[in-house]
Amino acid sequence: MFFDLNVKGNSLENNIDLAIEASKYGWKHINFSYNQNEFKDALEIKGDLSQRLNDIIDFDYTLEIKSNNVNEIRKAVRKFRNKSSCISVMGGDLKVNRAVVENVQIDVLSRPYFRRYDSGLNHILAKVALRNNVAVELCFKDVLKSYLAPRSKIISNFKDVYTLYRKFGFPLILSSRAESVFDIRTTHDFVSFFTQTGLNPVEVESSFLTAANILKFNEDRDKMILNGVRRVDDEA
Amino acid sequence: MKLKVLPPTLRKNNRYLTVDVKATSPIVKDELVTIVWDACVRFQGELNTGNFNLWVMKFYDMDETEKYYSYKAIIRCQRGYVDEVRSSLALATKYNNSRISITTVGLSGTIKASQKYI
Repeated sequence: MFFDLNVKGNSLENNIDLAIEASKYGWKHINFSYNQNEFKDALEIKGDLSQRLNDIIDFDYTLEIKSNNVNEIRKAVRKFRNKSSCISVMGGDLKVNRAVVENVQIDVLSRPYFRRYDSGLNHILAKVALRNNVAVELCFKDVLKSYLAPRSKIISNFKDVYTLYRKFGFPLILSSRAESVFDIRTTHDFVSFFTQTGLNPVEVESSFLTAANILKFNEDRDKMILNGVRRVDDEA
Repeated sequence: MKLKVLPPTLRKNNRYLTVDVKATSPIVKDELVTIVWDACVRFQGELNTGNFNLWVMKFYDMDETEKYYSYKAIIRCQRGYVDEVRSSLALATKYNNSRISITTVGLSGTIKASQKYI
């Protein structure tokens, strides 16, 4: 199953174009991501979108929080936790990276290497991310939109994240962050690219499974009493 | 004088990639050749690209939409280097200040079989 949890959400027509193209190229589920300011407006077009995309592709929304203020991030998470199937926070700032991996209510730390000269993760953050089940997201678009030395540096950051991932086993997800039909590639191309950068096909596949598990976990999140304890409605 | 054709055991084994090309301005086959070589040399380097045995076999114009011109092409590469070539092509984004996008939609062992993806 090919899941992409980060496709940049936009207007209704643009979302439909993206979803149709993604479905043509083999994707099974995409999540349109909106930031905390656009998310409310995006919820209003969700009904129309689901009508138009019925039988084409599964879709949902990701809340992508962009802020360097840790308190603002916490506030936004509390506000939208029940309305969004996935909450991701843009990383890059060390304080933000740390606060995000420590917060169990956040699903994804997106691009911890963003505008940095290193991967933005170390062994401590990796352990905390594993403990709190916060996934680290790598975006294909960062490589796509860069070239020459910056592209090499981003791939080098990816490789540093792979090393930590292999040692500590925190959840890793891969996404396209496509903004237009020009940024979408077939699922095979996507897998080929990440295998070329140093992941093996099993690890790429498990990253898709991780994305699926995040969505499944969040469906039942309101029934969770404690970590590992879930209220069961089944009367039998 | 023409060279004698190599015996089958000495020939290279090829794979044929059917690619879907989108561009904001019209392109011709020769330009696609440049795009393919540039993309491979840029991502894999000169040394690795030498192994790929690249060749644009066929080039087709498809229906254009409001947003982009659409083409399909069959590209030959050597068996064993398919992942390298398709990942390089996937990273091509610009040509002559116009946006392009290349993605592989089919892979087969003969040109005839690869035409079913057109």
